[in-house]
Amino acid sequence: MSGDNRFLGLFYLSPYIIGLLVFTALPFAASFYLSFTDYNLMSSPVFTGLDNYWKLFTGDRTFRKSLWVTLVYVFTTVPLKLAFALFIAVILNYKLKFINFFRTAFYVPSILGGSIAIAVMWRYLFADVGIVNMGLATLGFEPVNWFGDPTNALFTITLLRLWQFGSAMVIFLAALQSIDKSLYEAASIDGAGKFSTFWHITMPLITPVIFFNLIMQMVQAFQEFNGPYIITQGGPLKSTYLLPLYIYEEAFRRFDMGYASAIAWVLFVIIMVLTLIAFWSSRHWVYYAGDKRS
Amino acid sequence: MKLTKLLLATAFAATSLAPLAHSADLRMSWWGGDSRHKATQAALKACGEKHGHTIAPEYTGWDGHLEKVTTQIAGGTEADIMQINWPWLPLFSIKGDGFADLSQFKDVIDLSQWTKEELAAGSMNGKLNGLPVSTTGRVFMFNKTALDKAGVAIPKTWDELFAAAKTLKEKVGPGAYPMNAVKETAVLLISLNATQATGKDLVDQKTGKVAWTEEELTSAIDFYGKMVSEGVVISQKDNAAEGNLNLFESPKWVDGRISGSYEWDSTYSKYADPLKGQVLEPVALLKNADAKTEGVYRKPSMVFSISKRSKNPKAAAEIVNCLLNEPEGIKALGTSRGLPASKVAAKTLLDAGVIEPELAAANAIILAGTGPTVSPLNEHPEVRAVFIDTLEQYAYGQMTSAEAAEEIIDGVNDVLKKF
Repeated sequence: MSGDNRFLGLFYLSPYIIGLLVFTALPFAASFYLSFTDYNLMSSPVFTGLDNYWKLFTGDRTFRKSLWVTLVYVFTTVPLKLAFALFIAVILNYKLKFINFFRTAFYVPSILGGSIAIAVMWRYLFADVGIVNMGLATLGFEPVNWFGDPTNALFTITLLRLWQFGSAMVIFLAALQSIDKSLYEAASIDGAGKFSTFWHITMPLITPVIFFNLIMQMVQAFQEFNGPYIITQGGPLKSTYLLPLYIYEEAFRRFDMGYASAIAWVLFVIIMVLTLIAFWSSRHWVYYAGDKRS
Repeated sequence: MKLTKLLLATAFAATSLAPLAHSADLRMSWWGGDSRHKATQAALKACGEKHGHTIAPEYTGWDGHLEKVTTQIAGGTEADIMQINWPWLPLFSIKGDGFADLSQFKDVIDLSQWTKEELAAGSMNGKLNGLPVSTTGRVFMFNKTALDKAGVAIPKTWDELFAAAKTLKEKVGPGAYPMNAVKETAVLLISLNATQATGKDLVDQKTGKVAWTEEELTSAIDFYGKMVSEGVVISQKDNAAEGNLNLFESPKWVDGRISGSYEWDSTYSKYADPLKGQVLEPVALLKNADAKTEGVYRKPSMVFSISKRSKNPKAAAEIVNCLLNEPEGIKALGTSRGLPASKVAAKTLLDAGVIEPELAAANAIILAGTGPTVSPLNEHPEVRAVFIDTLEQYAYGQMTSAEAAEEIIDGVNDVLKKF
């Protein structure tokens, strides 16, 4: 490649590189520095060493509560969402009438899912006189206090996340369609049943996609903000007070940017460790065709 | 002759350039609802034309505005003129140097339109950081139509309020409440009760600590607990079931099942409008005979401040004066920020007959009320958070009133230490 062309390539890439540096790399580094400071936005940051982290791990009950709620949320939401997305993808993989309509219909909530409007709609659906309680009443059940009861509130927020299974589903669907049909034909000739075929052929072949979806969904779930912010505001009794809400409130309600940065970094480390564990474990359960380890 | 022509031409050119040289490009930021946005834009247009400046409007709803202003100030990109909530003054300008000192522009802004107390309220550390736009306070409002239907007279004392709850339950049903108290309103009702019993505001401005003893605050929290247990107010748990709706959006408010609340007088229309056909009446502060004071929670609702970094502070001061003291601004703004604090503005609007009688009545209650001076630190976000979070734990039975009082006092004192 001649020198000119190399610079032309860099020139084409420059919007992305500048964006990455200014909007990701710089804030990333700045937040790391700020996590060791006392910074209230109005005056210059004052270096305080490990004070923020010390306070976080020794004296902050809200952090412990928020971390617990976040872990419960992630470990409930992610497996359920993946299972549900795979289940729907398998159904939509059949040659049904109006299949394209159904595929679109199931995908639509994912496009809408992150929006404020959907969170507001959720609030109305699960309100004390909302459509969900109306449905329960017609079936003869007592109305449920979805938002006011600490044991139900997180579940309601979890359902919102589950409802947005479309993007994971589309990826599963693409993986299912890429499986070589001759494998199924061979299994059928050998007399394999539907469940056996799914378990021994489909599942191993889509494990790379399950792994991909697992990582993506886990990272997204750790960053959930809109749902609890709009619907429950973290309550009641902080039962839906996920860490991103805590970070936001520390930063913009209490103006403790240093402490908020420290929480953000702890969250980052947690996500990183869990991702590394997932990668480490993947060698035992993810099948890559053509991989020498397989 | 040539010289005369040249001089004349220069003079003309100088005259025509004079307004241009003086004209400034300014920005003004505020929060509010649609009616305030429209009124303020009209006022900025009128004042801009009058003084030869252009003012770019920057407006949002209430939610997130503090975060926006904070980020702007931290980044040095705030608007020239800002609508600042009064309790935010200590956040941005504890030493008085966070905003421009408006007393420097007394030749432009007619400061005689405010009382000394009002100017003091807009000052931090002796520097005039903001001009009070209006004076506001919490006032009781009752849905007279709903209470009349149940044969209940509008309560004037706490005892009458408890009696009203009993009658409403009998005549309307268990879901009827004569008062609303969740989150901030619950905090302010507890504060009102403690202030009436002690004659003191939450913050002792001399010691910089909580003025109430644990016993006094425990008693006020117990009073709130009694309001819940006797059905005067809805429990926090039942209220949350509705999905944390604002009171004015709640079907229970609209159809009169909740028939009273304790709100800012300036928000009267916000609560009255959804009631369509029902009468919402502002009422003097409820108290019992042994109260030491009415305990009115009165404060400047907001102030107009000028950025200390403004490149055209004098032009900004002209616009602020126009908005608050000159007929073009006063008429366009109307009562979009409550009843104006500026004397000339209040008179202009009264003479023009544009002030709703209920809003005027609500404001009169606030102005006539007695009580200790309210510290802006009552509404410091951390103080509020400590109060609201602890109260929620009490409301859900996680702690006793005495434990809640101890936690609130300790938590608030921790915040107050910083000031």
